[in-house]
Amino acid sequence: MRNSRILGLGCYVPPKVVTNDDLTSLMDTTDEWIRERTGIRERHFSEDNVGAADMGATAARVALERAGVAAHEIDAVIFATLSPDIEMPASACVLQERLGIGGMLAFDVKNQCSGFLYGLAAADKLIKTGRCERVLLVGAEVHSTGIDLTTRGRDVAVIFGDAAGAVVLGPEDDTARGVLSTHLHAEGKYAEKLWLECAASRERPRLTEEMVATSNRIFPRMEGRYVFRHAVTRFPEVIQEALAANGYTVGDLSLLIPHQANLRISQLVAMGLELPEEKVFNNIDRYGNTTAASIPLALQEAIDADRLRSGDLLCLAAFGAGFTWASALIRW
Amino acid sequence: MPATILGLAHGLPPEVEVVGVRRPIAADPVGPSDLALDPGRRVLEQASITAADVDFIIFATMTPDVTFPGAACYFQDKLGCGTIGAMDIRGQCAGFLMSLLVAESFLDAGVYRRIVLAAGEVHSSGLDYSERGARVAALYGDGAAVTMLGPAATGGVAAVVCHTDGRLHDGFWIEYPASRQHPVRVTVDDLRAGRHFPKLDFDLVARFGRERLPAVVGEVLTRARIAIEQIDHLILSHVLPEVGDDAARTLGVPPSRFINATAAHGHLTAASLPVALSEARTVGRIGAGDRVCLAACGAGFAWGAAVLTL
Repeated sequence: MRNSRILGLGCYVPPKVVTNDDLTSLMDTTDEWIRERTGIRERHFSEDNVGAADMGATAARVALERAGVAAHEIDAVIFATLSPDIEMPASACVLQERLGIGGMLAFDVKNQCSGFLYGLAAADKLIKTGRCERVLLVGAEVHSTGIDLTTRGRDVAVIFGDAAGAVVLGPEDDTARGVLSTHLHAEGKYAEKLWLECAASRERPRLTEEMVATSNRIFPRMEGRYVFRHAVTRFPEVIQEALAANGYTVGDLSLLIPHQANLRISQLVAMGLELPEEKVFNNIDRYGNTTAASIPLALQEAIDADRLRSGDLLCLAAFGAGFTWASALIRW
Repeated sequence: MPATILGLAHGLPPEVEVVGVRRPIAADPVGPSDLALDPGRRVLEQASITAADVDFIIFATMTPDVTFPGAACYFQDKLGCGTIGAMDIRGQCAGFLMSLLVAESFLDAGVYRRIVLAAGEVHSSGLDYSERGARVAALYGDGAAVTMLGPAATGGVAAVVCHTDGRLHDGFWIEYPASRQHPVRVTVDDLRAGRHFPKLDFDLVARFGRERLPAVVGEVLTRARIAIEQIDHLILSHVLPEVGDDAARTLGVPPSRFINATAAHGHLTAASLPVALSEARTVGRIGAGDRVCLAACGAGFAWGAAVLTL
């Protein structure tokens, strides 16, 4: 059975930069507090009427061009997001419209911070088994319209930024190259440790004027310490799982790209695995947590910085809301 | 290696009269993961396995219990499935078929051996039952179905095809909450204007369905290398039940071999097809070894079909 590999990669970050100091005018926080706890210095926010698929389309055009694939040659669109442009249909459909394509399989994956890797796993299996030849996988989020930018919401609001990343995947006949394996996990018992409740289909009605006007139920809420503790356990676990599944150990790894949730988490994970700093790529300082977009965005910058070369053993790993966590091992 | 169906069950909440029709309507605070729980337990029994033996969960829904995480995470916890992967797929009316295709790929790649595929919707909490929205609200119901899939040497899922054309996405949509709206996704004004309720262009949606349902059935039968006469049961899902009837007539399938998935309970979106399949099996209309063709067409616009043997 063949493998899949990334044929092209593209990213889009909206131009508006929001620094920690900018946030201090909206809420009671400080640059020092944010940097110390998260490593974030600034993030980007999209403009009015720019949704996840709008940004995703820009990223996708770059990825398609770099892959040498025309948009109409794509036979599946997978869109990972927890902040779709509209409530229904999926952002994958809006993306098709923006790219002027239609007819192929297209769906959204809602798996939060692990969304890109869940989408990658699905794309990989569709290609591996010969069901698809060219899959466009997009991870994009517009968080800025769904966070509570007041003192009440500051613990979560300071973390998130908007961005999009896209990859085009195609077949790789050399089974020692490309995506070697993917590993997916979840633990729904912690669903409400990091969540966005409303609109909630289980509420009747699922949206009320009270929810929208005054409550914090339409914004994400988090028990930070809880998330932190699980993240520093699950990240190393799922990285080791990917390595072991392929007969490798941490020493064989060329580069680890962790989902950019919090710099302190990435640092603790690297320390626990005894991975030297140059083998872990972080860029959360400039983008914040961009959820489904963070891995392709970091991957792009790692390539641009010449931190990843052909033949390198690359591990992508994520942990976040759900809880969900995941990894992929790639021979680049 | 094809996927085979090792278990299939459905769960519908009690019927209630709303806007002049009887529909299965979930009670507060029931979400799709709750509706899927009892069928989930029953498919474990049918497959003679425990929750610990399940390798992966896919949940097809457009109406997750909360905004995030997805319904799969809640369902995974309720069913007691440890720390296995749990994925939400959003593919509207074709969500079950898209999830079936993804599940089949994971099985075929040899990654997993037991996949629980849930499809469930709680629409009732997001419908406008006032006079303004009654025509649309009357179309929908709540429900869920769960399928257990595993690899098989023979039988099972013969073919699945899925298509989407997002260029028509605003012909059948729910616009708000919309992440693209600054500074907040949904406002009190949006709610008062009813922008968070489903809207559909009835003529466009009907025309598209009448054309695509017969076409996609033809396509999947060609893929499975069988003739329509060899199909024991045709199950069609379209938000407007009369469109399903028209498509069956176009295909020349007589009422004795046709099941309209949205006629009895209203439109259950991702859950319509598996609920209809499970229900037909429960009442003895579909038996072991019967060859079934399923097709759906709806919002996205997304459409697809599958041929399988129970």
